[in-house]
Amino acid sequence: MGAERTEQADALLGELKRQTAGRLTVFLGAAPGVGKTYAMLARARELHRQGVDIVIGIVETHGRSETQTMAEGLPLLPRKQMGYQGRQLEEMDLDGLLARKPAIALVDELAHRNAPGSRHERRWQDVEELLDAGIDVYTTVNIQHLESLNDVVHQITGIRVSETVPDALFDRLRDIRLVDLPARELIERLNHGKVYLPEQAAQALQAFFSPSNLTALRELAIQTVAEHVDTDLRETRAARGMEGISIQRHVLIAIDGRGQSEYLVRAGAKIAERRGAPWSVVTVETGRSADAALHTDTLNQVASSLNKATHIEQQRLIEIDKAFSLARNLGGETEVLHNTDVTQALLDAAETRGARAIVIGRTREHPIARIFNRTLTQQLLQRCGRYELTIVNTPQARLHARRLSALAGRQLTGREPLLILLVSLGSVGTAALAEHLLGLQDLSMVFLVAVLLVASRASMASAVITAALSFLAYNFFFIEPRYTFYISAQHGVVTVVLFLAAALIAGRLASRLRMQVVALRAANSYTTAMQNLGRKLAKAADLGQVIAAGSSVLQSTLHAKTWIRINGETGPSTAANDLTEKDLVAANWTQQHGQTSGRYTDTLTNSSWWFLPVRSDKDTLGVVGLRFPSGMGRLSFEQRRLAESMVEDIGQAALRTRLVSELEEARVTGETERLRSALLSSVSHDLRSPLSSMIGAADSLARYSADMGPEDQQSLLETIHVEGERLDRYIQNLLDMTRLGQQGLTLTRDWIGIDELVGSASRRLQRYEPNVRIQHDISPDLPPIHVHPALIEQALFNVMENAAKFSPPEVPVLVQIRQIEGNKLRIDISDRGPGIPEDERRRIFDMFYSVERGDRGKQGTGLGLTIVQGIVGAHMGSVEALPGLEGKGTTIRLTLPWGGYANQEMKEHDERSQ
Amino acid sequence: MMRGPNRSNLGASPPRILVVDDEPQIRKFIDISLRSQGYATLLAGTGQEGLTLLATKGADLIVLDLGLPDKDGREVLKELRQWSRVPVIVLTVRSGEEEKVVLLDAGANDYVTKPFGVDELMARIRAFLRTMESSPDEGPVFDDGVLKIDLMQREVTVQGQVVALSRKEFALLSLLVRQPGRLVTQTQILREMWGPTHEEDAHYLRILVAKLRHKLGDNASAPRYIATEPGVGLRFIAKERHTA
Repeated sequence: MGAERTEQADALLGELKRQTAGRLTVFLGAAPGVGKTYAMLARARELHRQGVDIVIGIVETHGRSETQTMAEGLPLLPRKQMGYQGRQLEEMDLDGLLARKPAIALVDELAHRNAPGSRHERRWQDVEELLDAGIDVYTTVNIQHLESLNDVVHQITGIRVSETVPDALFDRLRDIRLVDLPARELIERLNHGKVYLPEQAAQALQAFFSPSNLTALRELAIQTVAEHVDTDLRETRAARGMEGISIQRHVLIAIDGRGQSEYLVRAGAKIAERRGAPWSVVTVETGRSADAALHTDTLNQVASSLNKATHIEQQRLIEIDKAFSLARNLGGETEVLHNTDVTQALLDAAETRGARAIVIGRTREHPIARIFNRTLTQQLLQRCGRYELTIVNTPQARLHARRLSALAGRQLTGREPLLILLVSLGSVGTAALAEHLLGLQDLSMVFLVAVLLVASRASMASAVITAALSFLAYNFFFIEPRYTFYISAQHGVVTVVLFLAAALIAGRLASRLRMQVVALRAANSYTTAMQNLGRKLAKAADLGQVIAAGSSVLQSTLHAKTWIRINGETGPSTAANDLTEKDLVAANWTQQHGQTSGRYTDTLTNSSWWFLPVRSDKDTLGVVGLRFPSGMGRLSFEQRRLAESMVEDIGQAALRTRLVSELEEARVTGETERLRSALLSSVSHDLRSPLSSMIGAADSLARYSADMGPEDQQSLLETIHVEGERLDRYIQNLLDMTRLGQQGLTLTRDWIGIDELVGSASRRLQRYEPNVRIQHDISPDLPPIHVHPALIEQALFNVMENAAKFSPPEVPVLVQIRQIEGNKLRIDISDRGPGIPEDERRRIFDMFYSVERGDRGKQGTGLGLTIVQGIVGAHMGSVEALPGLEGKGTTIRLTLPWGGYANQEMKEHDERSQ
Repeated sequence: MMRGPNRSNLGASPPRILVVDDEPQIRKFIDISLRSQGYATLLAGTGQEGLTLLATKGADLIVLDLGLPDKDGREVLKELRQWSRVPVIVLTVRSGEEEKVVLLDAGANDYVTKPFGVDELMARIRAFLRTMESSPDEGPVFDDGVLKIDLMQREVTVQGQVVALSRKEFALLSLLVRQPGRLVTQTQILREMWGPTHEEDAHYLRILVAKLRHKLGDNASAPRYIATEPGVGLRFIAKERHTA
């Protein structure tokens, strides 16, 4: 919506600019001598007669009398005389023209190079100034002077034109008029001396005027004009808010695979190229061929279905494949359309692509169909309305193929004759049984049902045969005189017609229905396969899983051995062994060039694998290799399309996992960064606090000890000592943390009583904090646990220290130890402090939590609990924070599996010793 | 020794200093040092305790730690500033200047970054208590033998030579000298000298300080008189007064 608005606004602005500034009208010719100046003057005369203020700025008549005559009577601005190196040169009087300010100025030879000393080097610059001044300019130019066509002209003629006009000037075009002259006539004019050529260049220019050069240049000129007309139209329409339509529209090429499809593609591509239009090639699969295509999907059926019909069908598909790959190489799009109505399918495709032209080959023209206006060509002509229909007559080979396929279509396949026979016999039997119940007229209904039955089950041919058989049987057995084929006009003719009509109508309906079902099934199987892949890929969390999921789905859907390599990761491992050196060469080529290679392609065909590139928006992520059974000579379009779509999806999934892992990486980096800064601030807080005390105390002693009593001096010394120890503890914590963080923690387990560990931790704590009271409640007879004693002691110490910090003075910290279910040891360490809000309980073990609180946190809370978690975690235990006893304070609960692990070992030990 | 409070003035009670810090060891050494220098001390381990002590017993100066268990030091500062103008020296482990500016804006008068030498803290404390006891109208305000600043006479001499200061230069110098040893924030200076609309124009000040330093023969990299606290403000280095 927004983009459209902008476009419209731009167009309006452009329109406005056009209206105020002067506009350029260009008389464009393919070569000198086509009569541009003459045409310009003729137009000018006409305008002059109408009273338009028109002035000749400069016109080169080159002494040609007709041109001279045309110029007579038009107001002429005197030329400016300029001296240059002793020569008199004449140039257009730009200032004079600006002062005169006519409505229209004629300025011949836009590409002209002005004489030295002029204001502008080039005449087109003069023209620009005129336009800026609001003067409309009529000018002439030859196609080879257009800047953008310089190279093309050089290629065509071998002459490099140095006097070029920038294309931007053409943005100010009001009108472009093509002055056209067929090459032959131009050469004639040249030979009659009617074309002015500068003498010194005449020789060179003679070569320029070859018929082929002139034709090519003429085509260029025509194209250029068409382009500008197109742009012009689009802009005007856009300015009026109309839907932008383009003159240059899509070319749709329809092929059927019945001979000469490639020829048709080439012909169509040429048409499109000539128009500079995008193009695509389509084929319409009506049910029957899709049926065959489906069958070829499974190898078994390929091998078994060697009858003629499928053989021809295969030939047809191969031809379509070839034509499609040719089309893709030539830059066209390809698509298989599914529809029972070929005409409608083509018209729909043309509509969606915004096609202007439809290119078809001469179709099979059934004489009868032609009578009823049912041929594709006739139908298209009737219904295509605004499309341009190009029918390309293709050579003879086509006829042959057609006849074959027509034959094949009529052949009865497999069990059909049996069906006909059975149904016919059945109907005769039924009729015989029912004869005495029903009248003769009703008996015919029995046969009619038989015909309908066959028509709905089998091919049209079978239905017609059944109709004939039924009629004969009916006639022979039931119509008087019986057992003769004699038909009385009364009964016979009506019955025959009825039977045949029923057979044809029902057969047609049934076959159409069947085709639709088959087409649907084809579309459906594609969708199902893609959905299946999508589901599996969605579950894949990393590249390895994407590769595994992708290869398994590809393998099961396409019945081909699959190998995938994305970003250097390959899979499945079973496929890797089947890749030979030359297969890898093809795979690498595909990776490098982003194009398919190997089997079924034109590149590195000696590989038995078909390699498809896995593309992202920018680059080739990897390669998918598919190895179909060696008996499979070709890929159906469906298979190709399915494989390509699937590979595309796999690529997207791979890209997604790449993004996810990049995100994850960024997150981890962010977290590491966070951890680093948390650690830094922890160091600054936890280390500085004791340091501050030590420095302060030492400094006080140094400076003021003379003013202090001995008790104070002693106290300061104590401070230094205690704080020194505290510092040591923090550093130990930091070291532990580093060890835990780097997973480098190795447990040296030993058997030890938990009471011993608690005792040790308590003693240590009381040494630092003499006022702390600790109350133990440990179940008697607890067996020893198998842990790393020093680490668990440290963990207990940290939790107890933490509890002591929050306990009000004189209120003891309670350590309660129990054996619980699951052979675990439960250690509860409770304080009666302020407690922790529920939503923060989980977070207190988070390294960031306490550290981020910085100054606010109680001293020493930095890493202690995080370390506890690390230590207990390493012992496969867990830590949690719970509300304290009687709802006051906090209980930190450590759960250690002392049994499972340890008992296992003990058991093993026991078993071994037995 | 002229370091402590005026001990000769025995009639008056010694200045009382409230120390609010949750670290018992820090509290202890500050307490011992302050007492050794003749100050009276009040000690608090939490913000609430500190506020209560200030309200009930009163103090001439507060040393406030920012890392308190019950409430953030800034909250304590905000709370006490609602009813008290007592000078506050903040103890902080943070060293970013934004943080300091925030603290000073919130009502702190000065700060000391942990870990600190006790001498540094004492100097800050003295700077506040001194201004309170000395009258700004006193004779030559500053004289270290080299630089002599007489605010009354508006005369500044360096080694006996009169230094011609512009009006602004003199204003800045007197602003700093009147609060020797104390931090004067950039915002304060700008507001006082150029008015509230120029609080952001730090470059005025930078240029002025450079000129002033030059005239006083001072050196920004090793200041003898005017020290810059980067991003925070200026401080007139208070050498002990050579009172005549």
